[in-house]
Amino acid sequence: MISHRDNNTQRIAALDERAEALKLKRGMGIADARAMHPMIDVVEADPEADRRLLEGLADWCDRYTPLVAIDAEDGLFLDVTGCTHLFGGERAMQDEILTRFFQQGFDVRAGLASTPGAAWAAARFHGNRIVAGGEEEALLSPLPLSALRIAPETRASLESVGLRTAGAVMAAPRAPLARRFGATLLLRLDQALGRLDEAVSPRLPVAPLSVERHLAEPVMLTDDIERLISRLAVALKTDLERRGEGARTLALLLFRVDGAVSRIAVGTSRPMREPRLIQRLFHERLTALEQTIDAGFGFDLVRLSVLSVAAFDLVQGDLTGEADDEDADIALFADRVRARLGEAAVLKPVVVESHLPERAVKSVPFAEAPQRRAPAAGRTVSRTAPPMTIYPPERPVRLFRSPEPIEVPATEIPEGPPMNFRWRRALYRVARAEGPERIAAEWWRQLPGEEEAPTRDYYRIEDSEGRRYWLYRQGLYSNAPQAAPPRWYMHGVFA
Amino acid sequence: MAMSAVARDTVFDLRRQIAKIEGTLPERLQVPVAAPADAAKSDMTLVRRGLAVASPGAFLHTGIERLDTALGGGLPRAAMSEIHGLETRDAGAVAGFALSLVSLILKEKQGLPILWVGTSEIFHEAGLPYARGLHALFGIEPEQLLFSEAPKLLDALWIAEEAARMTAFAAVILEIRGSPRLLDLTATRRLHARAQNASRPLLLLRQAGEADPTAAPVRLIVSAAPAANRETVTGPLAGSIGRPAFKVDIGKSRTALPGQFTLEWNPNEHAFAERTENPVAVVPASQRGADPAPASGAVLAFPAVGSPAPILPTVGDQPSRQQHPAHRSPRRAG
Repeated sequence: MISHRDNNTQRIAALDERAEALKLKRGMGIADARAMHPMIDVVEADPEADRRLLEGLADWCDRYTPLVAIDAEDGLFLDVTGCTHLFGGERAMQDEILTRFFQQGFDVRAGLASTPGAAWAAARFHGNRIVAGGEEEALLSPLPLSALRIAPETRASLESVGLRTAGAVMAAPRAPLARRFGATLLLRLDQALGRLDEAVSPRLPVAPLSVERHLAEPVMLTDDIERLISRLAVALKTDLERRGEGARTLALLLFRVDGAVSRIAVGTSRPMREPRLIQRLFHERLTALEQTIDAGFGFDLVRLSVLSVAAFDLVQGDLTGEADDEDADIALFADRVRARLGEAAVLKPVVVESHLPERAVKSVPFAEAPQRRAPAAGRTVSRTAPPMTIYPPERPVRLFRSPEPIEVPATEIPEGPPMNFRWRRALYRVARAEGPERIAAEWWRQLPGEEEAPTRDYYRIEDSEGRRYWLYRQGLYSNAPQAAPPRWYMHGVFA
Repeated sequence: MAMSAVARDTVFDLRRQIAKIEGTLPERLQVPVAAPADAAKSDMTLVRRGLAVASPGAFLHTGIERLDTALGGGLPRAAMSEIHGLETRDAGAVAGFALSLVSLILKEKQGLPILWVGTSEIFHEAGLPYARGLHALFGIEPEQLLFSEAPKLLDALWIAEEAARMTAFAAVILEIRGSPRLLDLTATRRLHARAQNASRPLLLLRQAGEADPTAAPVRLIVSAAPAANRETVTGPLAGSIGRPAFKVDIGKSRTALPGQFTLEWNPNEHAFAERTENPVAVVPASQRGADPAPASGAVLAFPAVGSPAPILPTVGDQPSRQQHPAHRSPRRAG
């Protein structure tokens, strides 16, 4: 028996058959129930867990149709239009769903009708009934008002005027009903009777393309799964070719025999349709996930879906049959590394217009970086370099992620370079110094009212052993009594 | 005659295959023109010494003749080369030296990207390569660069292996800190073999690492050298910091010749220059009599390029008696 808290009272939210046999009812107070039967076992309701379970079931129902929607707290809508023949007709399909759920330990009622409203009523008030098109009115007429999916207040006021069944509402004149009880009532009625279309909004976006394979014997080994992927990818390729597209995001769905569904997605930097490459991407992903995917007793349905597509530009290969496209090689390499080690495994620096050194270069994941321009033959003028007449300020070859504080005991002149400094607990003696190069904070990034960030004076330093560093002093020395002395940081190393 | 030429070609071909299998460098087993009569015999000598004249494309010339000679022709192109830094704080010099080599490679393979693989540890300790600095010094465009940061060494090795077999990269740089056990002879041999097959260089940068046995044919130990002053119209500018300079030690090479070089990188011409004002003699001058390089002012420990003197050390190369360290001389009793 499951309890939930409602208006400061613990009430029964759900109960099993044995509790029902004890004449307990939903909505009854836990205190009353305990007074009647002290032996009952009460568990606190956990709506979050219920929701997760329902989502897991919805994932599993993906095997019947891609259009699965969650209905309130305890229902699933499956839009099986055009899917029933795959399972041997409506009756066979419903039976199979019910059997499978029963085997997984669920007590499920199903209804199948040509409108969502009628199916909802059939599932909840008849159980396992299949309503043919046109029979909706006959199905609904004898049912109570709650079969119409209307708010409890509307239902109460309808009952107060003597309309106790759906049939009675249908028979009543429409205009007064709409005026008195609002448009929702008639909308629900029309939807249930098929006079208005009702769209079931699926939980997950429907993949443009997907291929699947039902397996009589569940597979467990990663190698078998990979072999299946390449077979499925071959089937995908023809579809993609027909559409003139390539896949950008692919998802592999593994349906385990006990109902758990694993979803594995890989992204590609450029549209792809070659089965061998798709299989290699999934190979890396599966290798990385080997520990987390639990095959259990095996997977009995494997589906490969294309989640997003892009136009595929055909490149003519040469006569030996291989297109000499090195960018494609690199894109594939980056995709494989990404599939194995995550989105940020391959980074590309992008130069940003900013004079703060740490902001001037941004590292972006390879897939999001702008495509490299093809190297033009005979190109000599460099594009990012300033004109030769201006000497660009020297920049280090390595920059620390965040400037590291250093201790500077003394400087020769107050705002000059340090004479020695301590960095990472080692003492360095400065042999030569160049600078300063003053870099001010970017005031346009400053929020109004915020204090202006101190300026930085950068020095190129060479220590007594010939190593060259890039240091800066943040702020200036000040005469004000409470002013903190400026701090020194190590920001990079030169070659 | 034609038959023998064909047969020789076959023999050379087979030897090349054997050399590849054994992991030695691709060599051109050239028949010396002087002795066409006993060609087979001289072939044998060449193979045994393992110092055959290599094909011109097999080596990357650093531009410093002395260094190229000491390395047996230059840095092998289709191989893994180790570049060591003794301490992590030398990371700037090591990275700078590696990038100058990459810059030399890119002179011929323009526009090809390079990949820099590193563990999170090294990027955190030594900093990320900074695209703006690389462009000014080495002429490497930011869009030519790809970084790959792996949280674990095993992943970094995997990325490097996958990248080393590709021909789309001009060079792959793998940077690792310390001497991890994973980077053993087997792992480096795998990397080396991939680089050989793709005939692309793989630079293994090791910061603060020990000189472990690896499959790399060349190991250079790089540290920073004080830079020269900036040149101005009126002469050197006192107190300024000029072009980057490196101190390069040969830790391991095919010729097994020792050597220490102070190189300066010229960022305008993308070329090395050796600094000659302070040549450092690492071993005492040869006592053999005929000085191999009498023309140059300073006394050097190495034979000059193309010198007739044999490379192999002889007894005469040993330091003279009085030059032995005192503690190594037998102590006289009494």
